[in-house]
This record gives sequence, structure tokens and C-alpha cells, in this order.
Amino acid sequence: MRALLLLVFLSLISSSVHAHRVLASVFPSGGAIEGEIGFSNGKMAVGETVIITGPDGGVLGEVITDEEGFFVFTPTEPVAHTFHADLGAGHVARVTMSAEEVARVIGVGAATPTPTPGATAQGATSQPLEVDALPLPGCGSSEAQRALIAEIVRDELRPLRREITALREHHGLQSILGGIGYILGIFGVGFYVAARRRFNA
Amino acid sequence: MHIVDGALSSPVVIAGAVATAGGIAMGLRTLTLERIPTAGVLSAAFFVASLIHVPIGPSSVHLILNGLAGLLLGWAAFPALFVGLVLQAVFFGFGGLTVLGVNTFNIAMPAVLTGIIFGRLIASGSVVRGAVWAGIGGAFAIAATAGFVGLSLALTGEEYLPAVGFVFFAHIPVMVVEGILTAFAVLLVRQAKPELFAPGGVRP
Repeated sequence: MRALLLLVFLSLISSSVHAHRVLASVFPSGGAIEGEIGFSNGKMAVGETVIITGPDGGVLGEVITDEEGFFVFTPTEPVAHTFHADLGAGHVARVTMSAEEVARVIGVGAATPTPTPGATAQGATSQPLEVDALPLPGCGSSEAQRALIAEIVRDELRPLRREITALREHHGLQSILGGIGYILGIFGVGFYVAARRRFNA
Repeated sequence: MHIVDGALSSPVVIAGAVATAGGIAMGLRTLTLERIPTAGVLSAAFFVASLIHVPIGPSSVHLILNGLAGLLLGWAAFPALFVGLVLQAVFFGFGGLTVLGVNTFNIAMPAVLTGIIFGRLIASGSVVRGAVWAGIGGAFAIAATAGFVGLSLALTGEEYLPAVGFVFFAHIPVMVVEGILTAFAVLLVRQAKPELFAPGGVRP
């Protein structure tokens, strides 16, 4: 009876079943770097300070995440940018954008622009998305139009990206049962070894 | 409660791995044929209990049940909890494989301490009084784990010091829940199956 009560109590407090890993990503967004920091349980890191450092460890800037865990940083130097946020309790988000990517964001240097997933705005010739080919009223593709399209694409992709992340972090009942099965198996082997040893002795 | 990969400095990771290897060796020596099923069940209980997350602040906490494991298993809590942690790291990405040693030590050492400190106290009095001691023991195991996690972070670097206090306070509700849970579990075990307790731990 008490065990039953405990079980009921346990199931009441178990509001959710998931891990809490830190997820962080940065991607080019026009002339700026956009990033997202959150926990794998879907909670975003709100109002966290993100410190941006260069390869030499010098601080390049500091931004604060908004209520959706997003932040935007406009780089000025074409060096590798490391985004670092301490979310407390040992949760540290650290993600780096390479110098080439940063350079492409700034629009300087970048001798060999390679297409990167997530990059939608710069270097239309090397991008999977051919901005020029889109039938736009008024034809041509001014910077403003490109930025607009990039903005729309980003907005469309955002929920999709979040869903993929959530899916990747999803723990099904199968994994839990599988884990219990492994435990039974491991201790079963231990049991076998111990039993054999006793039998031989 | 699980420290993630890359959060700790190498000396802390190595020290944790060495300490855990020692603990597992100690545990395996006490793990006789009769105790293996108990260890397996507690390992599975730990594996599942850690999946029940209670969101607190920016993070979330979960049950650990290491106090109960320590009371029932003694040193054998090391291999039992280690198996649970390995599977959690592989299946769910809790913690990570490189910090496995530190995580096992942080969770299993308080379990062993609980068994040593509270085992005798539980056995000395009446069943109800034993349950009260078990409750305190369950809460102590969580407090000690939070302390060890805090220590691991503090040893790694100054930047984690604010996190240390947070880790501890975030676990106060878990201490209460685990205390109640351990108290009832010990009460039940002592009434139904007293021989379950670890040799060297509780002798009812």
C-alpha cells in the first residue's frame, strides 16, 4: 500500500521525462551572427550574458539573450569568434564560429567562400538558395530584397530547427526499457560469473 | 546533478576516474552471489529515477536514490550506480563518458557514506525510529552529492563558484523528497525483508 502511494506520488511529481543538456548554435544572419542558446528540455536561456572572445582570449563583445534565447552579434574583426555563456549549475554553452565564416559575415576577405548550412544571406553565387532566380516583383535583387528573403527563410526555418532539436533529444519509452534490459543483462552476467565461481569452488 | 562533458579540468576528471575505479573494486569484492540481484534492482531503480526531472529555475533536478542504494548495498553501490550512469550517458547523454568517473564518485561515495554513518543508527532503534534515521540519511546523501558536485566545479575554476551555491540550493526539495522516499523504503524493507540490508551496513 505504501509502495503504491509512493508510486502515485512519484508519478505526480514527474512532470516531464528528459535530460537537460545545453544546446547552443550560431549561424550567419546577413551582416551579423545570430545564435540560440537553450536547454534540451525546450527551455531557452533567457537573459543570459553571452561573452564573445577571439582566438587569443580577448573579449570582443558581450550580448544578452532575448526571451527566446536568441542573440545577435555584429562582428567587426575577421577572426574566429567563441560564444560563451555560463548558465549556472555547471551548464556552460560554448560554440565557435570559424574565422572564414566570420569574415564572410563581415563581407571582407574570405578568399574561398564555401557554402555553410544555415548561411542564407551572403555570397548568393555559392549558396544553395539562388536569390537572383526567384521571381521578384520589380526584378533585380537589391540588398534589401535579399535581406528580406533571408529574414523570411530564417523565420520559416526557426520552428523546424527547434523541432529537429527536440526530436533529437527525445527519449522514448523504448530507450528506457532498453536501458533496464541492459542492466538486467549486465547483472545477469555477473550472476552467472559469481555462480560459476561458487560452483567450481 | 550529472556534470557534463568538458565542464571539468583534466586533474579533476582523472582523480574522479581513479577514485571510482577504487570504489568499484571495493564494491565488487563485497558483491556476493546473494547481493547481485539487489544491486541489479537498485541499479535499475537509479536508472529510471534519474529520468524523472523536476524543473527548478533554469535547470532541473531529479531523484537519485543513492542514499537507499548505500543503505542496502554498502560499497556495492559503486558498481550498481556506475552501471546506471554508463547507460544514462550512452542512451540519454546525461553527463558523458569522460566525466563518468567523477559522476560515479559524486553519487556513489555519498551512498557509501550514508550506509556507514546511518546504517548502524537505523538498526539500533525501533522500526519507526530507524525510518526517521533513514529519511535523514536519504537527505544527507543528496546533500553530500550536491556538495561533491560543487567541489568538483569549484576545483575546476573560479568561474563556477556562483554555480556551487545554486547546485546546493536547487537540491533542497530533492533532499526532502528523497528523505521521505528513503524513510518509507527502509520501513518497508525492515518489515518485509530485513535480510536485504548490506552486511556491514544495517543489522536489524
